[in-house]
Amino acid sequence: MPRLGYDERAAALLVFPVVAVLLVVAAFPILYSFWVSLHDVVLTRPLRRPFVGLDNYLRVFADERFWIAVARTTVYTVVTVAATTVLAVLVALLLNEAFPGQRLLNALLLLPWATPSVVNGLMWKWIYDPSYGLLNGLLVQLGVLERYRAWLGDPDLTLLLIANAAVWKQMPLAALLLIVTMKAIPEDLYRAAKVDGAGAFRRFLHVTLPALRPGLMLVLVYETMISIRHFDLFLIMTQGGPGDASFTLSWFIYVETFRSLRFGTGAALSYILAMATFLLSYLFIRFLGRRL
Amino acid sequence: MATIVCEGLTKRYGAVTALEALDLTIAHGEFMVLLGPSGCGKTTTLNLIAGLEEASAGRLLFDGRDVTWLPPHRREVAMVFQSYALYPNKTVFENIAFPLRLRRTPRAGIERAVRAAAEQLEIAHLLDRRPHQLSGGQRQRVALGRAIVRNPAAFLMDEPLSNLDAALRLSMRSLIKRLHHQLRATFVYVTHDQAEAMTLADRIAVMRGGLIQQLDTPEGIYERPANLFVAGFLGSPPINLIEGRIEDGAFRRAELRLPAPRAEPGREVVLGLRPEDVEAPAPHLIPLAGRVELVSPLGSDTYAEVSGPAGTSLTLRVPKGWRVREGEGIEVGVDPARLHLFDRASERRIA
Repeated sequence: MPRLGYDERAAALLVFPVVAVLLVVAAFPILYSFWVSLHDVVLTRPLRRPFVGLDNYLRVFADERFWIAVARTTVYTVVTVAATTVLAVLVALLLNEAFPGQRLLNALLLLPWATPSVVNGLMWKWIYDPSYGLLNGLLVQLGVLERYRAWLGDPDLTLLLIANAAVWKQMPLAALLLIVTMKAIPEDLYRAAKVDGAGAFRRFLHVTLPALRPGLMLVLVYETMISIRHFDLFLIMTQGGPGDASFTLSWFIYVETFRSLRFGTGAALSYILAMATFLLSYLFIRFLGRRL
Repeated sequence: MATIVCEGLTKRYGAVTALEALDLTIAHGEFMVLLGPSGCGKTTTLNLIAGLEEASAGRLLFDGRDVTWLPPHRREVAMVFQSYALYPNKTVFENIAFPLRLRRTPRAGIERAVRAAAEQLEIAHLLDRRPHQLSGGQRQRVALGRAIVRNPAAFLMDEPLSNLDAALRLSMRSLIKRLHHQLRATFVYVTHDQAEAMTLADRIAVMRGGLIQQLDTPEGIYERPANLFVAGFLGSPPINLIEGRIEDGAFRRAELRLPAPRAEPGREVVLGLRPEDVEAPAPHLIPLAGRVELVSPLGSDTYAEVSGPAGTSLTLRVPKGWRVREGEGIEVGVDPARLHLFDRASERRIA
């Protein structure tokens, strides 16, 4: 080890507490869960935890529930991320314009974002409630529906309805990020485009959208990472049901680990999900970030 | 190409009037410079002509056609901005081609027009680059190219050279002047730089507080400034202004006395003397003596700050071949025909 100067030693001393805390709360769980994923750890049989190599992973890949979960997670993530991004762009465009009440709307925008996830889940569960929910009441009174429906009980709708709740909470932050990016676009570009003959849509296409790319990439990566691992809404609203209609990977991990108490396979599943998240983020940055 | 006529053109922002009933006719093929300090209404005028802002009152005519309420893209004007306003994600070629693409020009036509404009501006080798890979001067050439390809009725330029360094500004100035000669189009050029205005303009409109102070050729504005503001705004170093009053057909201030035969007696006036309007003493000239306080050699010329008669402090151009030293006396001659007289109250020119 090279000799450290006084400043370096002081610096090392000062950052040591943070490093220690990170080692305990971040590095240790990551490494320990990987160790668990390589052993047959079942909580009902706490003393015998033999090394099984990649057996947990192979067992997961052979399990048809895993592939159902992959399909559900994919649908949920694509819908959530797509809807969040498109809505965020629209909302950002709207709120970037100057109009009376714009500041108030900007503040209101952050309300869903500030709502705790559990509260959000409960709120939407009530809205979707089959017997006294707001959605039923509204649609029946408007004459759209004949009678009340069990919204979350419909396997074709469940994922989309949960995605809707997630979008409601996640869109504001995305919109805020995009508004900040939009504010940085020089006004002269729009003026030049107007004189060049570009209408509102062309100006969006040729000036706004290219400038939004870094913001959009951030939104895509962030929202994908959030959505692919989403758990709390599923716990509160559907518990994976009805049937396997909302049986996502994160729910599968929960069931496998804390209901079946098979920590080994649970850890293997977690690692698969983490790797998938990592890979997706890398691809986004690689292919979208490159064209900046 | 177009004749641009502003009739009582007015722009208000709430209680603030940026432009007050502007009447201005810009002839077909003319190079009109709007000159003034910031906030004088020159950029507002340009934006109104471009259609980027709506007039609060008045009319705007292009070749007799009322365009007051037309959106920018239906006015067939091209604009060049101080910030260049190039599309950062597009190549130089695509930047120049953009207005043509919006007009659905056939591909071969676009290719030909962009190449021709690029040749003319000497940026043909840069067509594949993106704006961030270009220097400021190159960027402004691209912006000019984007204006040229459209073959517009008028070129509107909003301080196009203000972001460039001094040397580049000079060469771009000649480039713009050459372009005007080649294109024979109407140019409206906004600047706060008097040198740009003087060198480029066919006519200059000097503006202040939303009003045109004087509209004349560069020579006319320099030789016969209509008021104190115009006299002070043009000229470098600025004109010397001396307050006094008219007595017995002469400008008087304490012991200082200069002939002013046409001014009415008793009037409170301001006398203007440009630093460059002094010569070696001669019989037909009025002598002016003082003490040199500070010498500023510029190479081509030398200026001296002189404490003159009657407590005045004057900046004078030292006549060619003279050697002056700080602390020594100096005596020069002034041609009375080159003196400017302004009424002190109205600030207007008297003689």
